[in-house]
Amino acid sequence: MRFQLEGLTVYFPYQFIYPEQYQYMLELKHALDAKGHCLLEMPTGTGKTITLLSLITSYQLAHPETGKLIYCTRTVPEMEKVLAELKELMEYRQRYFQDTAGGAPKILALGLSSRKNLCIHPMVSEEGTRESVDARCMKLTAPWVRERAGKEPDHDIETCALYEGLEGAGPEGRLDAGVYTLHDLRVWGRKHQWCPYFLARRMIAYANVVVYNYQYMLDPKVSQMVSREFERECVVVFDEAHNIDNVCIEALSVNIRSQTLDAATRNIGSLKREIERVKRTDEGRLRQEYQRLVQGLQAQGVLQEDARGGGDGDAQQWLANPALPEDIVREAVPGNIRRAEHFVAFLQRFVAYLRTRLAVDQVVSDTPTSFLASLQQAVAIEGKTLRFCYDRLASLMKTLEITASDDFHGVHLVADFATLVGTYSRGFAIITEPYDDRLPSVPDPIIQLSCLDASLAVRPVFAKYQTVVITSGTLSPIDLYPRILNFSPVCIASLNMTLTRDCLCPVVLTRGGDQLPVSTKFDMRSDPQVIRNYGRMLVDLAATVPDGVVAFFVSYSYMDQIVSRWNDMGILQELMAHKLVFIETQDVVETTLALDNFRRACDCGRGAVFFSVARGKVAEGIDFDRHYGRCVVMFGVPYQYTLSRILRARLEYLRETFQIKENDYLAFDAVRQAAQCVGRVIRSKADYGLMVLADKRYQRHDKRDKLPAWITQHLKDSHLNLSTDMLLCIARDFMRSMAQPYDRAAVGRSLLSEAAVNALDTAAPSAEAVGLADMQTDG
Amino acid sequence: MAGRAATLAEGRGMDLDEEDEELRADEEARGQTAFEREYEDDHSWEELEEDEFGNLRAPDQAEEQRARRRRLMSAAASARIRRGMVRYVEVVLDLSRAAALADMRPLRAAVMSGVLQQFVRTFFDENPLSQLGLVILRNGVAERLTELSSSPEAHIAKLRQNLDTGGDASLQNALDLCVDALKSIPPYGHREVLIMLAALSTCDPGDINASIKAAKRQRVRVSVVGLAAEVYVCRRMTEQTGGTYTVATGEGHLQELMLSHAVPPPAAPGTSSVSLVRMGFPCKNPEAPGAAAFCGEACLLRPGGYTCPKCKARVAELPSLCHVCGLSLVASPHLARSYHHLFPVPAFAEVPAAELLGVTGCGGNQPDFAPAFVTGRTYCYGCYTPLGQQAGGAGRSRGAASLAAAGIVSRCPDCRHLYCFECDSYIHEHLHTCPGCECLPPHLATATAAAAAAAAAAAPAVG
Repeated sequence: MRFQLEGLTVYFPYQFIYPEQYQYMLELKHALDAKGHCLLEMPTGTGKTITLLSLITSYQLAHPETGKLIYCTRTVPEMEKVLAELKELMEYRQRYFQDTAGGAPKILALGLSSRKNLCIHPMVSEEGTRESVDARCMKLTAPWVRERAGKEPDHDIETCALYEGLEGAGPEGRLDAGVYTLHDLRVWGRKHQWCPYFLARRMIAYANVVVYNYQYMLDPKVSQMVSREFERECVVVFDEAHNIDNVCIEALSVNIRSQTLDAATRNIGSLKREIERVKRTDEGRLRQEYQRLVQGLQAQGVLQEDARGGGDGDAQQWLANPALPEDIVREAVPGNIRRAEHFVAFLQRFVAYLRTRLAVDQVVSDTPTSFLASLQQAVAIEGKTLRFCYDRLASLMKTLEITASDDFHGVHLVADFATLVGTYSRGFAIITEPYDDRLPSVPDPIIQLSCLDASLAVRPVFAKYQTVVITSGTLSPIDLYPRILNFSPVCIASLNMTLTRDCLCPVVLTRGGDQLPVSTKFDMRSDPQVIRNYGRMLVDLAATVPDGVVAFFVSYSYMDQIVSRWNDMGILQELMAHKLVFIETQDVVETTLALDNFRRACDCGRGAVFFSVARGKVAEGIDFDRHYGRCVVMFGVPYQYTLSRILRARLEYLRETFQIKENDYLAFDAVRQAAQCVGRVIRSKADYGLMVLADKRYQRHDKRDKLPAWITQHLKDSHLNLSTDMLLCIARDFMRSMAQPYDRAAVGRSLLSEAAVNALDTAAPSAEAVGLADMQTDG
Repeated sequence: MAGRAATLAEGRGMDLDEEDEELRADEEARGQTAFEREYEDDHSWEELEEDEFGNLRAPDQAEEQRARRRRLMSAAASARIRRGMVRYVEVVLDLSRAAALADMRPLRAAVMSGVLQQFVRTFFDENPLSQLGLVILRNGVAERLTELSSSPEAHIAKLRQNLDTGGDASLQNALDLCVDALKSIPPYGHREVLIMLAALSTCDPGDINASIKAAKRQRVRVSVVGLAAEVYVCRRMTEQTGGTYTVATGEGHLQELMLSHAVPPPAAPGTSSVSLVRMGFPCKNPEAPGAAAFCGEACLLRPGGYTCPKCKARVAELPSLCHVCGLSLVASPHLARSYHHLFPVPAFAEVPAAELLGVTGCGGNQPDFAPAFVTGRTYCYGCYTPLGQQAGGAGRSRGAASLAAAGIVSRCPDCRHLYCFECDSYIHEHLHTCPGCECLPPHLATATAAAAAAAAAAAPAVG
């Protein structure tokens, strides 16, 4: 359908639109008009992605001055899904432009992923891990390798034919307009014998829509390389962004163990040997580098630009700065690390110092300032020198022409650490722990440089781009995000799902069958009565709910404990009589296998229960739609491990900087995880699922009001304080009523036709919400 | 840092007390226990209304009646569909562990058995030419209770004796057993499996998908009536084999769903070859004790029974297959009883109250012999119940009037007679013929029939 939205022609590839999608478009358009950021919550299963794509591409069409749409996703499958939907949208849009001269407006949209996902080189693409693919690729495509291959054709130096093909094609090496998924890119690459990865890297500068991973935008190391040239007018979308603060923090946190330091020492040794070798063979190269460093990084940047003209993408990657403070690029590298030998000696000293820091027998917590002070005192290393570590290392690696970047992981980590410590004096904590708290007998010393402020990584994004859209199915309480991320959105909206039937049934279980309260609180979680009550509840539910049931626990250790207790009590055996039991483990392969078998058990009617962990891989990325998840049980409130020192440091920081109370933040974080878990079962409006929040603490207001509106809307008062028997009654009724045939297309209530939408638009904008409400009641 | 930890821990401690108190306060504020809250908003008694005579009247009787009519009409609307008149149905009764649950009183198993007995009777009532067999699911295996046969009493007697429950249910075993039994059915027969499923999972020895495919290959239509919830594999099985899948919300609904399977289903598209079926019409033997002979497969010495016209063997009852020559033995009333499925009474149209005001009499061709008390008013052609609002106001007969006042009025499209709701449903559910049409003078009857035929011919063009 095509309709008018406050004067904007919107192309939407379906015959009907949900009222919430219309509302979502409206909010989004306001944000785009105001050239500001926005924060939108809309439940999964309401077609968020297509709504976003449809509105923004329509907006681009109407306002050509709008920049690219940069769509950030968390995983590759999500990326593919977005591109597939965009493709459909574009095909649909064609039909409205058949009569116009010049045909439909063409757009270029493509996904960008790592070499691992895009490489089509017969040998390189066989490599197992991302790092090894990168290293193999660099070995074939690094500028000095290519140069040498060009100079000495008889030496038989291996290069990548595909990369050479792309380079050879020059300006001809490009994509036609269209929508390219990763698969399409590979196909295009095979057809033309061009490297899809570098082709994509080259083409994103010209694309209208770019879809890639969060890291490409948030991780300063990567974003500098990939996203630097995007113009200010771009629209950046972070989809499924409920964990965006954690992603930001991870991007700027470094952990160093003794193994890392061992590896770094080895790396430094080989760097030394390399330097000696180069000194003997080609001293000029080192001297050249020195000169370059004297001139400063600014000049070096220019050099890079020149090198880039020659098609050198990799050197760039190494020279990107993880911190991007404005002044650093203008400063010259300090004198004491300009010479290669000096720099290596410096690194050696630094690693030795870290080793002494690691040798602690109790937890030490530092701020970067105090860390620098003691560093100065012990080994006379200055903060300013540290700051340049990353660039200096990258430059050295380039000078030494080292391609096996994956072997130098250790020293890279140390350099990252050094640069971050040297750069930020606030918002970080350095915590050294002699052992893991959960396993005090195993010595495992670790230095954690932990970012406490999620806004540090995301600030450049907000500052650089005109409109940043943060959206997810669960962003409640929505007012907390602007505070954590430290930005001011022009639009904040939380939209509900309009349903033709009550296909969501959230309930709060507070008591077991014996009327004793159930909870995973510290003092209650190992109470056999609570464990038994939880177990009985699950057995009874398994007997009442068909097909798939998913159970989420608060942590792996808790799951291990409770499952083994259930086994002792004989509850597990009873459960197995009704349904097969599968368990998520920390091993990805094992979990994948378990999931696969879980699905098969659901398909063939045997029924199965999947035990999983909140915050685990399954809770974040796997859908239990349709019969795979007819019921989800959240055992307990998934608080973070509150004794973790990093968390405590972060809480303190949040309190001091953003005036967010510890308990508020902890509850917010726990409830968003819980909502994320229970939301796994509803992936579309035709779906239905029972959501059991099994902990008495969910009854409290401070938990309940943090649940997203689309859950609380269906949370009846009478379902807030249930015991197991009442829950079973509700479950039985719910399952029966959902099995009844229903009218899928309730036009007018949960679907709006083209005419209805246009009618909405002609109404006064202020009356719009009212009109929508009337419409719903009429229907 | 350590100090910080202590405060956090304390915070947690406080948290606890605070929380419990909050809960308690919540409870007290509401002053109710949980079960009371359940019914808080449910003031069902307020919906009751009194009519002008002080009789209680259910609130939306008309709505209820309309829903029932809709079902009737949908049956009538599909009248032109070819139906499978000769059905061979295997009914599978799930007596696994789940049948021992008591969410239907007294027990699911007892309710299921009761409904099934009723179904068996209705089935033979509606499909006298058909056969039915019973299979029980218990302890992971499928047991055959009765072979395919036409005697309702035999099935019911067997069913009554077998109501133990236990173990798992296996849909695959049931399906294999039934499909195996239905394989040898002659091509004109409709092969059906009807499963009453209490369980929510199936414990199969192999791949159920293979069994579903086999069933589909054998053109067996599998339908499922669930007792608890929608199970994915049942949904898929019924979709693939062209059956229906319904889930009962309660005892009443279960009965309704089961009985809806008593009506012959539309013929599957693949079975369109019209063939003549050889049938025997045996004559009844005298009941005198002297006429005793060995009857049926079991060779019971008894008088009466029927003699097969082909091989002269004696069978105990009709309809059945001759145990010697395999001929289908029926009596002509059986055929006649099946007849109405092919020529159902047309759906009556509802007459709005406003239109009713302008009508006197019973609509249509007013007969002369109407009783005196209805002259001058609107009344039902079937039972002389006064219709419409003014009838209630007169207060002639209290019970009937209040009933009619709440009900809806409908009109036969052919003879234009008015009927009250009760007569309407009686005609469609049991009588299967419209008395008004039957009583039409011959010239009118042909005229209306012709009109109806014309309308029917026009209907597809319009549709």
